[in-house]
Amino acid sequence: MDLTIFQLLAAPIVVSLIIAGIHAYLGLHVVERGVIFVDLSLAQIASLGAAIAVWQGADPHDPMVYWMSLGFTLIGALIFSLIKAHDARIPQEAFIGISYAVASAAVILTLSKATGESEHLRDMLVGNIVAVQWPEVWTTAAMYLGLGIFHYVFRRRFLEISMDSQAAAARGVPVRLWDFLFYASFGLVVTRSVAIAGVLLVFCYLIVPSVGAMLWASRIGPRLAIGWVMGGIVSMLGMYFSVNFDLPTGATIVCTFGLALIVMAALKPILFRHAVS
Amino acid sequence: MKIKSIVAIALALMSFASVQPASAALKVVTTTADLGALAKEVGGDKVQVDSFAKGYQDPHFVEPKPSFILLANKADLLIVVGRELEIGWLPPLITSSRNSKIQTGAAGYLDASSNVKILEIPTGQITRAMGDVHPAGNPHYWLDPGNGRKIAAAIRDKFSELSPADKAYFAQRYSDFDKRLADAEKKWDATMAPYKGTKIVTYHRSWPNFVERFGLDVIGYVEPKPGIPPSPSHTLELIDEMKRQNVKVILVEPYFDLKTPQSIANQVGGKVLVLAPSVGGTKEATDYITLFDYDVNTLATALKATTGK
Repeated sequence: MDLTIFQLLAAPIVVSLIIAGIHAYLGLHVVERGVIFVDLSLAQIASLGAAIAVWQGADPHDPMVYWMSLGFTLIGALIFSLIKAHDARIPQEAFIGISYAVASAAVILTLSKATGESEHLRDMLVGNIVAVQWPEVWTTAAMYLGLGIFHYVFRRRFLEISMDSQAAAARGVPVRLWDFLFYASFGLVVTRSVAIAGVLLVFCYLIVPSVGAMLWASRIGPRLAIGWVMGGIVSMLGMYFSVNFDLPTGATIVCTFGLALIVMAALKPILFRHAVS
Repeated sequence: MKIKSIVAIALALMSFASVQPASAALKVVTTTADLGALAKEVGGDKVQVDSFAKGYQDPHFVEPKPSFILLANKADLLIVVGRELEIGWLPPLITSSRNSKIQTGAAGYLDASSNVKILEIPTGQITRAMGDVHPAGNPHYWLDPGNGRKIAAAIRDKFSELSPADKAYFAQRYSDFDKRLADAEKKWDATMAPYKGTKIVTYHRSWPNFVERFGLDVIGYVEPKPGIPPSPSHTLELIDEMKRQNVKVILVEPYFDLKTPQSIANQVGGKVLVLAPSVGGTKEATDYITLFDYDVNTLATALKATTGK
């Protein structure tokens, strides 16, 4: 194999590590909260914003499109922070699923009415990680670093409301506000990542490292560490498979995530033979 | 443990991979298989040709793979269809290639559309409400053998510029292709002659050059607007129109869903024909001339059955 390909793929490789970094962390929260599909839902709500901007005559590369999708993401974040435990009988995942379906359908309707931007719709859903360029990588890195610092500073608050929001509420923490801040920052990241890497890949970066880590560890610190290592290794390995077997990169990384999870589950009894279950 | 073993496996896999042999031939990459076929006609064994989009893929949407970046990185010449056909996927690929030779406007970048006959160049203001319209005209221009000849000539000139030592070789290959194409054209014209003026419907606006060349008349499209999937009301209007004008044949590109065209054909008692818009779109279309052989013969057979001529 020709190794220059890895130089040419430097930007996708770097961006996949950046995405792996922030999503492995956010995935912990998402899994703790039991809102597994919230990223798909928020990404779709963001697409709806973009679709409406395009329908209103904005060019797909117009900053207007980005601001609209950002606005819709924040509205989505507001909805998700308000519906939490509104009626304990209805699981939160139900609302998330409904938002996903309605937002997806609304995107189709908007674009069919408006324009021939089926191409754009495709771009939103299956952003292609191979096509990422350095300027996008740097702005993404800067944005995620900012949000990462924000989450680091308030890490106790965020963990508290994710892991036991009722106890936090009992202590007088404004749970709704923190929920909104969580979903808003999460929405910013997901919208950006989806535009770069596509829905499927972002979902995997979010959920699989977190689930894989739960197989091997129970405390938050080790789980985060395992998630990061797993996300990084799978990115590299997926990129390598994609080059070696000449497969579309995003889908290859997704399948590599699946394989890695199977391997981790299979290794669990060997690695933790003496551990008390 | 785990990390080490994965790294070890990865390294082992890498060491099996072979290094590509260096070649003195001009390395040519084309966006579509048609341009690739024409480049092979002219270049013979003095060039090495690779194409991104396969003939059965929609050239508007091509999923970039790592190998594409590598091909672009190594290329001496990139030949594109142009007219914004590849706008959705090619520009980032060119940037990622980090190959200064093939950047837009450089000596190793050939826009094949520069001296061909382009149809449907829109006049007046273009809005997005018109659908996926190409402002620079219809990019499916290679489906006219006359344009194929002009593209081959442009490729000959570009090859001669990049590889002057083989100028005579390319000139000779071109004139041979020109002659074979002219003979084939006579045959195609004879086959299509009885059907001049026959009305047909096509799925996408891929065929204006083809129908103009062979004197067919397109009265409508399955897509309400270019790039927009069929809607019920448009489909009903189209069925009425086809019944009114007694149109029986619907041409479809291999990458579109056949359900709507098939149900329209059932309504009007007509026929759906999947023609190859590109070399490799069907297994019979192995080069530029067999592409037209296939399309002309398939179409003529269907028109014979429906018109009785």
